[in-house]
Order: sequence, then structure tokens, then C-alpha cells
Amino acid sequence: MNDLDFNRDKDLAKDFLSNFADSNGEAKYMNILQDVANRKTKAIEIELEDLADYKDLDEEFLRRIAENTKRYITILASAIDELMPEPTEALPDDDHDILMTQRSEEVTENTDGSDPKQKMPPEIKRFYEVYVKASSKGRPFTIREVKASYIGQLVRISGIVTRCSDVKPLMQVAVYTCEECGFEIYQEVTARVFMPLFECPSKRCTVNKAKGNLILQLRASKFLKFQEAKIQELAEHVPKGHIPRSMTVHFRGELTRKVSPGDVVELSGIFLPMPYTGFRAMRAGLIADTYLEAMSVSYFKKKYEDYELRGDEEEQIARLAEDGDIYNKLSRSLAPEIFGHEDIKKALLLLLVGAPHRQLKDGMKIRGDLHICLMGDPGVAKSQLLKHIINVAPRGVYTTGKGSSGVGLTAAVQKDPVTNEMVLEGGALVLADMGICAIDEFDKMDDSDRTAIHEVMEQQTVSIAKAGITTSLNARTAVLAAANPAWGRYDMRRTPAENINLPPALLSRFDLLWLILDRADMDSDLEMARHVVYVHQNKESPALGFTPLEPSVLRAYISAARRLSPSVPKELEEYIAGAYSSIRQEEAKSNTPHSYTTVRTLLSILRISSALARLRFSEKVAQSDVDEALRLMQMSKFSLYSDDRQRSGLDAISDIYSILRDEAARMNRLELSYAQALNWISRKGYSEAQLKECLEEYAALNVWQIHPDSFNIRFIDA
Amino acid sequence: MVGVAYDCLLNPQGAVRSTFQNAICKASDPAAFDGKDWGVIDLFKQFLYDDGGLSQVPVLNPSSIARLKSNTLVRFRGMIQDMLGNELYVGMYKDGETWRTNKFGDFFQLPMATGSSPDMRVWERRLLYCVPVPGQNSWIEYSSESLLNPSSISSSPPREKRHRDDDTAMDDIDMQVTNEEVHASTSNKKMREDGIASNSSNLGDTPTADIGSATSVLPYFDRTSLPCLVKIYDSPESDLKLNDVFEFIGVLTFDPEFSVDKNVDNDFVGYLGDDDTQTQMPPTKVPRLHCLIHKKLSNQDFISGSPTIELKSHLVKEMRETLLRHLTTILGNDGVAANLMLLHLLSKVHARVDSTAVGKLSLNLTCFNKETLSVYGHRLNLALKNLLPFTHCVPLTVDYLNKIPLAPKKNYQTNRLASGILQLAEGTHLTIDETQLQEGRLNPIGLENARVLQSLLEQQKVEYDFTYYKMDMPADIQLLVLSEGKSNILPADLVLPFRPLSVEAAQDVEIEVLQSWRWYLATMRSLSHSITQEMQKVVEDDLVAARQADRSLGSLDFSRFLTMGRLVSLSFGETTLTLEHWQMAKELERLRKERL
Repeated sequence: MNDLDFNRDKDLAKDFLSNFADSNGEAKYMNILQDVANRKTKAIEIELEDLADYKDLDEEFLRRIAENTKRYITILASAIDELMPEPTEALPDDDHDILMTQRSEEVTENTDGSDPKQKMPPEIKRFYEVYVKASSKGRPFTIREVKASYIGQLVRISGIVTRCSDVKPLMQVAVYTCEECGFEIYQEVTARVFMPLFECPSKRCTVNKAKGNLILQLRASKFLKFQEAKIQELAEHVPKGHIPRSMTVHFRGELTRKVSPGDVVELSGIFLPMPYTGFRAMRAGLIADTYLEAMSVSYFKKKYEDYELRGDEEEQIARLAEDGDIYNKLSRSLAPEIFGHEDIKKALLLLLVGAPHRQLKDGMKIRGDLHICLMGDPGVAKSQLLKHIINVAPRGVYTTGKGSSGVGLTAAVQKDPVTNEMVLEGGALVLADMGICAIDEFDKMDDSDRTAIHEVMEQQTVSIAKAGITTSLNARTAVLAAANPAWGRYDMRRTPAENINLPPALLSRFDLLWLILDRADMDSDLEMARHVVYVHQNKESPALGFTPLEPSVLRAYISAARRLSPSVPKELEEYIAGAYSSIRQEEAKSNTPHSYTTVRTLLSILRISSALARLRFSEKVAQSDVDEALRLMQMSKFSLYSDDRQRSGLDAISDIYSILRDEAARMNRLELSYAQALNWISRKGYSEAQLKECLEEYAALNVWQIHPDSFNIRFIDA
Repeated sequence: MVGVAYDCLLNPQGAVRSTFQNAICKASDPAAFDGKDWGVIDLFKQFLYDDGGLSQVPVLNPSSIARLKSNTLVRFRGMIQDMLGNELYVGMYKDGETWRTNKFGDFFQLPMATGSSPDMRVWERRLLYCVPVPGQNSWIEYSSESLLNPSSISSSPPREKRHRDDDTAMDDIDMQVTNEEVHASTSNKKMREDGIASNSSNLGDTPTADIGSATSVLPYFDRTSLPCLVKIYDSPESDLKLNDVFEFIGVLTFDPEFSVDKNVDNDFVGYLGDDDTQTQMPPTKVPRLHCLIHKKLSNQDFISGSPTIELKSHLVKEMRETLLRHLTTILGNDGVAANLMLLHLLSKVHARVDSTAVGKLSLNLTCFNKETLSVYGHRLNLALKNLLPFTHCVPLTVDYLNKIPLAPKKNYQTNRLASGILQLAEGTHLTIDETQLQEGRLNPIGLENARVLQSLLEQQKVEYDFTYYKMDMPADIQLLVLSEGKSNILPADLVLPFRPLSVEAAQDVEIEVLQSWRWYLATMRSLSHSITQEMQKVVEDDLVAARQADRSLGSLDFSRFLTMGRLVSLSFGETTLTLEHWQMAKELERLRKERL
């Protein structure tokens, strides 16, 4: 009865293989079979997903394959045997073919063929290997989740390869010749070890009681490549207080030499028991070791560009994108345990998103990566921010300015201890190519690295001219630096420039520079005291007031956003140019310029704006993006110079008034919309509450009238 | 109904089987037994706890192992040192028409049935490698009355060759082998086995040094200690965590006589070399325990006797007074040091919030020199040993740092976790003696060790090295640092210059008093604690005022103040913070500041 079932399944398999058409309408598997017949490829990978998509799907058949994979591979193979087309190209006969022809001739000659041991097993004729690949839908298992009930089933597992054996031959079909009767005897080997035959089982020998001696024919036997490896659970899958589990994996044939220790892989394979053999079985009481017979191997992708969205993630991103407040939501989810610093987190989010790289027609490249420098007193969680960003980024390198090895940040030429050849070894910046490089203790960096970093930050390459090697390596990385002020703590009595202690040439390369100061004020102290008391009392952090997004969601969203390359529409060009020139003028007016507004600043504005547009999933930069970019730049400046502003004598309210008056005068209008006003003042770093206060105060003085519903402003012409 | 049929002590497997037979008669679907208990646990729980059987269960330790019989009920106390993953076994099989079970036993009783059939159900159990708790002090003993008399020798059936007969037929001849002989025979065997198998005993015999050191699991601790491979059935994974201390009660299978024929076996071992438990930990050396019941132990469980002392405040106060006086004497009449030491001994990580461990209070006593160290360091160590169940002392030298990794490291050759000195059970006290540290160069191992120690002090976490990644394991270790100046390598929470006034001979302490102190430390430590709304306000205001006065105070210092306040009130046996105790904590901090 079982046999009948399998015959029917074989027909099902044949039907599927010959009739399945992929999305292009091509007969996918027949094409593969043709390639196999032409000896171009050896592996036939049957994807269960294709089977699930097949028009005449038999759910039961699919389930049976997934649950009894090992058996069904032989069924699929025998179906393939029957379907195998003739080669369409002329093939040179190799040893194997000659042997095969001889054998088939012999079989027809011999009438003795009824003996099962003399019948050629189908394996020896096959020159292909069949693999069944599990459906990639859903999350792969961790090693821990694969339980006894999965034995014999096809499972998908993620893990890290820890050990690999050498590739060795594994006998699949042993072939003997008998000294007496001269017959070839075949023995199929299914396990790792086998008991060789010694006596000829052929009819002639048994009848004659000749006990013919068998000689193993290595040349005629069929061998498979075989490799054993160990995989181990990934750190993030191990529950707290447990040790990562490991599992043995067997690779056969074409799958060998695909992995090496340290690779993070996703395997699909059959979970099988490996019964102890011989003497051990007696001792162990049929307790079985288990292993995974690999069916396919794929690597985890580390780059944004290669990031593949899983089914549910796409939906989630779409939902998030519809939410208007995505910018705030994402930025708050960065390092949620660090209190406050909203604008800094926003800037860091933009650093993760970045702007598209541009290459002009004349070959000039304009970088898209944002560089940010955080400067501040010790103990204001700079390093924590840095480390968190590295965790979120799919490719990130964290290093300190002092450099951890002789290679340092950039690259070094080293002598290979074995071959004595000169080799180039990339430093942190080179390793972070296409990712983020977080450099802590930026101020304590070696001078040689600091000069090299100029090049990295603008040209995004590392040039080397050492020991006769001149070359330049790519380092397309976004630099996130953290530095302490010149005297350890920020000294209020000195100017910001003295405190920062970095050369202007380097500073101008940072798009944003934030100063995080540990100011002595009651409120923040009380906040801190409350937090600590709360933690001690309740054994948990105070509620955040929102649920932060998971890093994986953040990563998915950012990688989706990075696919866009927004452009600046014509009508905004004027606007940006105007904003830029006004910053330049302001700087020229003030007697102690704090900032170095250069063309680089203009590029920064563009970069930040297009990163914002990416976040909105828009192909066009909007005016609101530019305004937000200007606001961020202004805020970053205020973090440096807020004290100066207070000294200048203008309080916030009157400053807002003067901004609005100037703008109105510039545009030669008496009316300003509320939205416009908000735009102007936020660019200067004021809040909406301050604007409202200002509006009320000056309305009371009869300077302007406020529309009761829209809050539009109308100056009263004196 | 079942309990009487079998002796739970001597034939626990019989009891398992008889309950199984009862259950299978009622159940229709054999699959219903997968991963389920059919009443065995309840039976044993009743036997052990309700019927008072617990005291009769013998304890498994190096001295008793020779007397214990295989397939009897034993208990074992140990720390989970490594987790070896799951093991599949034939849990149920059909013998003719009746189902039989193999649960809680080692050996399959059918001669070689191959392949899987519907008449066989494969179940799994988890393997835990347990060792005696590192740093365990000698005063911890088990109630020894439980060791049973080894039963009659003569009337055992002749041994069947390599066929483990049913339950009781264990060779009593083996049982006669004394401990020494076991060791001798195993070490002989090891020579033959060419160092592939090795455990913590008789390490030196291994001819190939590298493999030997790789497989040895706890090389730094007592070599006579007995590891045990515990097999856990059915219980959820989250119950048992690494480094937890447990008492396991279950069926012992241990066979000191059986020899693995290496030559046969080696042919079948995988290409990756030996990494399965059979060859690495042959049943000859590591006993197996099929766990029926497991119970997590805290420090309190190790204090024998006197769990009856009630929490009477005047008693507690009295104990506090005497203990404080004792500590003061030991510390050469340095009252502040003694006070802080008491708080330190009571400290415990009671919560983890984000990356900070709340409740830790490590102490760094500075101003030690050669003379003071030889006097007080020794006395202090002795006193701690007497007071706490698990203590450990590390002399920090450049050589020591450079030589061996302190943190555990996964060895992929053997697929085992090689223990480091910092793999310690919860609540262990660790003294680090920095006075012996000289100038010198740290190699990469030393650098890594210094980093590991630092993260242990700062976050109470130990990074376990898995080569391809590192994993943080939470720890709860009381750390005491003795140094000349303020230790920069080991940043402790409290730094106090040590000012002994006079050397007084430490008087002998009566054992009862010691007992009560042990009880006091273990119990007060585990009390819960809270702060009332009004006190919260006071505390907050005090903290803000302190920060206004001294800008260098950060959230970590705030956290430390609160911990001190908490510990002061715990030391009086109080569970809420009062103003008085808060003032005391502040006063202590002030006195400490004065010395800096």
C-alpha cells in the first residue's frame, strides 16, 4: 500500500517538474534538467515555495515532502531520472561514461540480472544531486527550537558556523568484483560507516558454493564530497542565563566548501537522528545524536543595499510611513533609555539615513554621508549614544581615537609574518565602508590619523603611500565622532573655539556639531534624583510614555528609505540659496564669527534635507525638509553659543518680533501667515510656545493684529 | 495505590515504570505522553516532602560515591557549569503488545532495534553539567545522617556481559571499590585513552597537555570535587540557568567499572573529533543523575539549622551589634571600615535596569601595605570564610592577569565551556588583592582580563567568550578590593582608606554565634525593601542638595547613596527606609569623604 502511495507521489512530482512555470512562464525545472543533461550543473534545487505556488497544488503532497524529506528526495530523484532529457550538446566521454556504457551492455548480456545485489542502483547512474529548499517565508528556527518532534522534517535554521572539517570523500555506492564469477556487485551505502561485503552474493557463486572473494573497486565506486560542520546559535537568540546550543551539519556534494567558521548562515536541511552504530549503540541504549543534512545555504546580509525585507516588515513599514509623526517616532526610538536630547537623536537618525551619493558628469563625487560630531562633558552618555547607533546600523564599526591596533583608523602596510610580503590592512574607516564609523575620543586621536581623516570625510577614500605601495582604498563611511572639550570639562570662561580644540578644517567637514553640556540646574538634578529613586523603588526604568520601535524595525525602515534618491525641485533652489546667503550675511555682521559658513554648509543643508525627504519616502525635497534642516543646523549652533545669545541682551520674545518684522519688511508685505511665521522662527531655534507668547504680547501692544482662528499676523501700519 | 509497590529510594525506576503502566492503561493515545509527566513527580514529591523521605535520600559527593548504588535515588547539590544541549532517547517503545518506558534511566532494554518505527517514541532530555559550587567553604555540610548503609553484598546475580539487566541488578562488587581505587583505575584508563577523556580529577595524567587543559573544566578548584551530569526531563528551559545553584534529586547511574573500548569507538567518531559526552565524560568518571525533582538554592539554604529564628527586631539588632563588634576587632578598631564592610556583606543585586545593576556595593579598602596586609588581610579572609557560604580570593599580579583568561571561554574543540575563575554562583564573595600588583606589561590576555574585571565591578556582568561573539552573563558577586592606593583598574563603588588603630588578637567565636551571624547575613540580604512617599521626597531633596554642593556627583553616586540607605535599614532587619537610617547612611558617607 505504501508503495502505491509513493508511485502516485512520483507521478505528482513528475507532473510538477515538467509543468511548473515560473513568473516568466519558463519551465524552470525542465531548463535545469537540460543544463544537468548538458553537464553544466550538478545541483537540482527544488524549492518548496515553487511547489506551493504550483497551480495544481496538492497540499498533502507538499506536507509529505516537508515531513519526510529524506524519503521524498529519492522519489524526486527517480522522477527526475525518468524526465531527464537527452543532452543537446555533444559531450566528451569521460571515464565515468565509458564505465557506464560498459555496464549497461553487461547487464543486457547477463541473464543473471534478477539478483538484486547485481542490479545497478540508480545512484550510480546519476550525475546530479537533488536538494529540497524550504520555503523562506516566516522566521527561521533557532537551534533551540528544533525539538525531537522535528526529526525527519525539513527545517530552516539560522546560526553561526563555528567549526568545519576538511572535505572528504564519502562512499555512496561501493562496487566490488568477484574473483570467481567476475560479476560486479553493488552495495548502496546510506550511513557514514558500512560493513563491506566479503562473500559474493551472486547466484552463480551461491549455487556453486564458491564463496567468491570480493574486491572493492575504488575507481568504479561512487563517492560524494562530504563535509561536517558545527553551527551555533546566534547571540541574540540565546535566552538570558543560557549557553548557546550547537548542532552538527553535514554538507554533501555541491554544498561542501560553502561555509567557513564565523559565517552567519541560514540553512535549510533535514533534521535527522544519527543512531550510534555497533558497540556504542549497545552502550548508549539507542540514544541518538542528531544532525542536520544541509539542503541549502544562504548568508545573512550585512549591508543596507542587500537587506531583504521580510513579509511582515513591508507591511509594518507601510503602516509607519502613513503615520505623520514618523520622524519623531523613529528618532525617539534611538537609545530610548537615554533621556532627552531630542534634536541630537534626530540628527543621528538622519546620519543613519544619509543622503544619496552624487557623481557629476565630470567625474566629481559629492558625498551623501552625513558627519556628526558630539562634544561634551564626561558622563553625558556620548559613548552610549555612539554604541547604540552602531547597533542599529547594519554595518558599523566602533573605535576610539587612540586606535586599537597598529593599523589605526585608516590603513597600514604590514609585513605578513608568514610570507614576508607587504600587505595592506584596512583600519576602522576602511572596514566601515558603506556603513558608519563611530570614533570615540576623537580629540585624543593621533596626528597622523587626524590628517588622514580629512581625506576620508570629504573624498571618502584613504590614500596610502607607504613601503612602495601607493593606492587608495574606498572609505564611503559616515563619521560619527565624540570628543571631550579641550580641558576635559567645558570651560565657560573660554570661547567655544578654545574649548573645542579641533582645527577649523576638520570642523567644517562635520555637517552638524553638538555640544552636550552638563549644566548645573535644579530641574535636571531633581529629574536625575527622581529617576534614580524610582529605579531603586520600582526596579525598572520609569515608563517612557511611548513604546520604542524595535531596532530591527528601525533598520528595516531605514534600509527602505535609503533606496530613494530624492532630488531638489527647481522652485526650491531659490529658497535654499536665500537661506544660505542670509546665514553668510549674519556671520559677516557679527563681530565674532563662531561658525565657518562655507559652500560645505550649503551642501550640508542639501544633504540633511534629502535625508529628511528619504524618511518621508518622497522623491522630492520639500520646503519643510529644508526648514527642518536649517532648524537643526541652528540648534546645533545654539548648543554652542546659547550663552552669547543671552549676553546680547535680546530676550526670546523681542528676538522673535524682530525676526518677523525683518521678514515682513523683506517681503514687503503687511501680512504673514502663522505657518510662515513658525517656519522663520523655528529656523532660528525658537519654539512654537515662544511664538504664541510673542504674538500675544505684541498684539496687546497693538503692534499687530492676530486673526482669531488662523493666527495669521497683520502688522498695523503706523 | 502505587507508592507501596516499589521502594522509591532503592528502586526509583521501578516506581517510574509502575506509574507508567497504570497511566498507559488509562490513556488511549501513546502520543499523549510526549513531554508530559504521568504522575511520577507527584509520587516522588509526596514521598520526599509529605512522607519525610527527603532525609533518607543519600547525598552524592566524592566520599559517598563509592558506597552508592547505581539506579538508586540520590541528591546532589551543585552549580550548573555548562549546558550540553539536548539528548534524544527512546522514551517509549512497544515490547510485544505492551508499552514500556525508558524515562529516568540510561539503558535501553531491548537488544538492538534499528530504525524508527511507529512503536517507538523519541523524547528528549536536557543535559546539564554540574559542579560543586566554586569557593564553597568547608563549614557547609550536608546533614550526614542520610547516608544509607550499603546493602548486602553476597546475593547478587552474576553479571551479564554488557547487558544491563533490569533495575536492581547492579554489580555490588563494583560498590566495594573504594574511592582511591576508583581514582587509580580511572587514571590508568586515561593513559590508555590518550588524554581524550578527562575531567576535573587527576588532571596531571593527561599526556597531551593541550587537550588536557582544554577539556578540564574547572582546573582551579578542588580536584577531589565531583562533577555530575544531570539529565533534566520536561521542565521548562527558563527554570534552570547557568551558574544557578540547585539541589537535584533523581536516579543515579554510575558505573565505575565499565570501560569504553576506545579502539572500536574511535572509528565511528565524527570528523570533527571527539565532542560528544560519551567519550569526553565517560560514565566511569562522571556520574549521571536522572533528575526527578530540582530546587533552586539560595544562600539561606546552605545555613544548616536555625531557620527557626524569628525576625524579632531586638534579636536582629543584637546580632548586628555583635557582628559589627566582631568586624571592628578584625579590622583593627576601624569603625567606619567595619560599618561599610557590614553593608558590603549585605549587598546584593536586586534589580537590573538598563545597563546598571541596582543594589551592588563593592568596597575598596585602600592604604594597605605589606605589614597591614599580612595582619589584617589574612584575618579578614578567615572571617569572611567563616561568615559566608562561598568565598574566593584572587591575588592580582601582572603574571596572573597575563596567564589565564578569567572569564569562561567556549572551547570548540571539545564543544564545552571552559570555566574561568569568574564563573561564580550568585552571592559569592570575591576578594581581589591588588597590593601585590607590580609594574609590568599586560599582554592581550591581561588586557582582556582587566576589562572583564572592570565590567564585573561596574555592571556585575561577565563577558563569556564564544570566539565569534561575546555574551554578557549577569552575575551577582560581592567584590572587595584591597589595594595600596585607590584602584584605577578596579573602580569600586566605595573607596575607603583603611585606618587600623590597634591590633587586637581576634577572639575565638563560638560556633553558635557564628551560625547566627551566617543566618543573619543570609536572611537580611534577601529581605525586600521599599521607600515611602514621604521618604522619597526627603531623599530626592537631599540628593539634589548634594549635587548642588558637589557637581561631580552623578547618577551612579545617587544610586550608591540609595543602596547604602537601603542596606543600613536592612542591617536592622527593617524593610522600609526611615529617616534615622537615611541619616546614618549619610553620616557614613560623610565620614568616608573625610578620609579621602
